[in-house]
Amino acid sequence: MAGNFWQSSHHQQWLLDKQDLIRERQYDLSVLSEEEYQKIFIFFASVIQSLGEQLKLRQQVIATATVYFKRFYAKNSLKCIDPLLLAPTCIFLASKVEEFGVISNSRLLTTCQTVIKNKFAYAYNQEFPYRTNHILECEFYLLENLDCCLIVYQPYRPLLQMVQDLGHEEQLLTLAWRIVNDSLRTDVCLLYPPYQIAIGCLQIACVILQKDHKSWFAELNVDIEKIQEIARCIINLYELWKQYDEKKEIQGLLNKMPKPKPAPQR
Amino acid sequence: MESKLKRYEKIEFLGEGQFATVYKAKDVETGNIVAVKKIKLGSRIEAADGINRTALREIKILQELSHRNLIGLLDIFGHGSNVSLVFDFMDTDLEVIIKDNTIILTTANIKTYMIQTLQGLEYLHLNWILHRDLKPNNLLINGSGILKVADFGLAKLYGSPNRLNTHQVVTRWYRSPELLYGAKQYGVCVDMWAVGCILAELLLRVPFLPGESDLDQLTKIFQVLGNPTEENWPGVKTLSDYIEFKPFQPVPLKHIFTAAGDDLLDVIASMFVLDPSKRKTCTEVLKMPFFNNKPAPTINSKLPLPQNVRKLKELERPSLKRKLLDSAEGGTLSKRLFT
Repeated sequence: MAGNFWQSSHHQQWLLDKQDLIRERQYDLSVLSEEEYQKIFIFFASVIQSLGEQLKLRQQVIATATVYFKRFYAKNSLKCIDPLLLAPTCIFLASKVEEFGVISNSRLLTTCQTVIKNKFAYAYNQEFPYRTNHILECEFYLLENLDCCLIVYQPYRPLLQMVQDLGHEEQLLTLAWRIVNDSLRTDVCLLYPPYQIAIGCLQIACVILQKDHKSWFAELNVDIEKIQEIARCIINLYELWKQYDEKKEIQGLLNKMPKPKPAPQR
Repeated sequence: MESKLKRYEKIEFLGEGQFATVYKAKDVETGNIVAVKKIKLGSRIEAADGINRTALREIKILQELSHRNLIGLLDIFGHGSNVSLVFDFMDTDLEVIIKDNTIILTTANIKTYMIQTLQGLEYLHLNWILHRDLKPNNLLINGSGILKVADFGLAKLYGSPNRLNTHQVVTRWYRSPELLYGAKQYGVCVDMWAVGCILAELLLRVPFLPGESDLDQLTKIFQVLGNPTEENWPGVKTLSDYIEFKPFQPVPLKHIFTAAGDDLLDVIASMFVLDPSKRKTCTEVLKMPFFNNKPAPTINSKLPLPQNVRKLKELERPSLKRKLLDSAEGGTLSKRLFT
């Protein structure tokens, strides 16, 4: 993403404090455990990813949509808007902001129906319940809660630059890129600037592939502690994944999740 | 968002464009005068598209920027499924000033208007944003003589080399030759061409290259600058809409801008270059001798403004109908503040 990150709304308004995040989530965390809360967000990140892939969007747009989703719930409880409605709304807004092709509302809805039926039937027994007017209304609500900050910086570009600097290894880039995608299932995009996330993901990739780039990392002028925090967050995610069967647990979690009242018309 | 409806008290209607209606309003909380641009919902098809794309473009870009010479987006609010943007209120624009033949523009005045335009645009370009619709009525001016670049409905982040852009941007008279030839990869040079046209218009007081069609536009350009060749513009023949024109003899700029000094002619020439890669950037133009030579640029508050704005300032009574409105009613759909 072009522009100046240091003067951006992303840097000035949207790098949140861990303590604030916990405070904002107080209500939801009185209903759900921290782990359950994270599992719900992992699930919806997958929903957004699947919708985006089905719509043939670029990863940049999918990532922006996911960040919108997380930013919204960083300031609101899950009961404010059903995440199943907010997820496609984030895709809708992000595709307009990133200006990659036009998704018509009807195509978005058809895609929601197909994806929910084909890929997430283990979570939802019923059809996708929302209509165009729900998404349009929700879009407004989303824009307002984002404080109209629409430009999101992603770790992909800094990652590309760094891998190039390391002497461009295809394997390393592919793995680190996937780790960046996975990082969207954690809170790092709310807490750390994208260049730090890129370094954290690159470090994990180097360890997995047993590439020794210690001297390169040593020369970086960054707060290594932050990089370690990011790496820890992502490794925790992998630990969680190991002993978690989403297909079995998610329905229970979605039932337990705080919900808006009144429930949407079906 | 609903409560904000009450925050802005409507004073008067300012104008209407394709996508929006603009009102002058008073911010009850601060007492400031603002311009509220209410985005139209449009047809049913557009309504299904949700928040208007043009408005989103303005929101996303202006939210990230802050510069004395760029219009400030102060607030955004919605009501029902409508969205309204709140901007700095500006008294007039450069088109009104150019057309007002009671105003005499001296070299010092022109220098100040140009410096402000170039500085606003330089900031924009440094942030990798192209304006893509520069023209005199998108350069707004307030009662203190501060110029602000406005209307970011076509603005775009640029810099991804593999990304194709549409060439159907910029009002025709200010459109650069590469756009007219269908170029889909372009940069700051398209804005620089438009600035050149605006500078020419400040001097001539009529649009410099008023083409009646895209072909006529190219003809008008080549009548002044001569035809493009592989020598003066390598690669021109590879552009998708390239066509050969009958040969024109270039006209020396000093025959057109008879009152301009050599240093000013250099500035004009630096932006009117057929080959976009040889056009100077804002930063380079601002460093040209013209801007340091005498006469010194007029201080903002001393710039000549249309009479109604000046009267307004003297009386400090913000009730006079704006000249803009008359011109909008007169048929030339004024596109200030909205697209």
